[in-house]
Amino acid sequence: MGKIKNICRKRCFSFTFLLRIVMIISIILAVWKKDWVWVVGTFIGLFISFLPSIIKKDAKFTLPWILDFLIALVTILHMGGRLFDYYYTIENYQIITRFFISILVAFIALSMIYILDEHWDGLKMDKYATAFITVIFTMAVGVFLEFVKYLNVTGTYYVKTNHVLMLNLSADTIAGIIIAIIGVNLIKTGKFEEITDDFGNQIDKMVIERFEKRSAKKK
Amino acid sequence: MNKSTLKIWGVILSYFLKTVIIIFLIISIWKLHWIWIFGCILAIIVSLVPTLLKRNYQITLPLVLEILITIALILHVGGGLFGAYSIPNYDTLTHFISSFLVAFLAFVIIYILHVYWDGLIMDKYAMAFVVVIATIAMGVVWEFNEWITDIIFGTNEQWGYIDTIKDLFIDTLAGIFMAIIGVSMIKRGSFDEMTEEFGEQIDKKIIKSKKG
Repeated sequence: MGKIKNICRKRCFSFTFLLRIVMIISIILAVWKKDWVWVVGTFIGLFISFLPSIIKKDAKFTLPWILDFLIALVTILHMGGRLFDYYYTIENYQIITRFFISILVAFIALSMIYILDEHWDGLKMDKYATAFITVIFTMAVGVFLEFVKYLNVTGTYYVKTNHVLMLNLSADTIAGIIIAIIGVNLIKTGKFEEITDDFGNQIDKMVIERFEKRSAKKK
Repeated sequence: MNKSTLKIWGVILSYFLKTVIIIFLIISIWKLHWIWIFGCILAIIVSLVPTLLKRNYQITLPLVLEILITIALILHVGGGLFGAYSIPNYDTLTHFISSFLVAFLAFVIIYILHVYWDGLIMDKYAMAFVVVIATIAMGVVWEFNEWITDIIFGTNEQWGYIDTIKDLFIDTLAGIFMAIIGVSMIKRGSFDEMTEEFGEQIDKKIIKSKKG
């Protein structure tokens, strides 16, 4: 079983690597098309996609591979939509991208709650309560994204209709529910602890322990 | 003003607000506004829920919660009956009050679970954060309700993109407002006082912890 797991992990890592290569190709295409806004956009995407590896080298961080994979996937979907106009030419492309963004958000939320529950005295939470918070957190982040779109901070054109807004919020909710269900099952079987174990220990050493020491000093 | 005097004034206010709904019912019968006759009856039933809970199940809701529920009902029924929804920002005010009520209820539930249930121990700032996201999420559920109603029944509950964004923004503000009030109340110990009786009753009836 251990061997199969290792093979799976290696394959998933190489898949993430492949996705990053595609992103570099996207940058080359953007430069060739002289679409400078998207050159910057793709660079930001690439940076976010490489962030786990950068953090890992500099601060001895190990992100769960699923997180690594999801960040790369979401970035590629978004950049593809902008660079090749898939947002406008492929029906429902925007909803699919939004769904995966929400899957990523929900997974981050679930991981953070689980890690805090394991390592921080300020939070002890039942697995079903964790699932509930994951869903409402994903919905709330979705609303925040809609505020950003409304304010048009990035200067990008978005389709601003009530129907699209409600579809986006539906995608967030469904993504949150899916991750919550998967998360509860993984927690029950103990697999979620395996996924987040290294990451949790590092967060504990780097953030929680320092925060608790500081709080203790204040008292 | 001491606590017992404050409680007496709270009870008087609660009864006064319920009387206002009954007056609204009489006016709507007099004007033969069938929708608002139905609305007023429904509002009276909802405003009597705390009393029924107390009499039949020995559960006493915090007085502030009872008053907030009645104010929200008065603003909605009164707004419809007297055409106040055409007043600029009246809709925003009612939405804010309703969202604040939801946020208050969320804070009370989380706090009681934190005190009595072994499955939840939460820092007060984490509670505040959860209250904000819970209020936003409830706002989204409300918007889903309006959206689906419009699709199925062809009604015009959602006025458009700007209005939905505005409603969600109001929900967020109400959540943040309640989170700030809640944290300062927990720090002073007044939140514990306010929810103590209700918490103990919920513990006895539902949670059944070792404390109960």
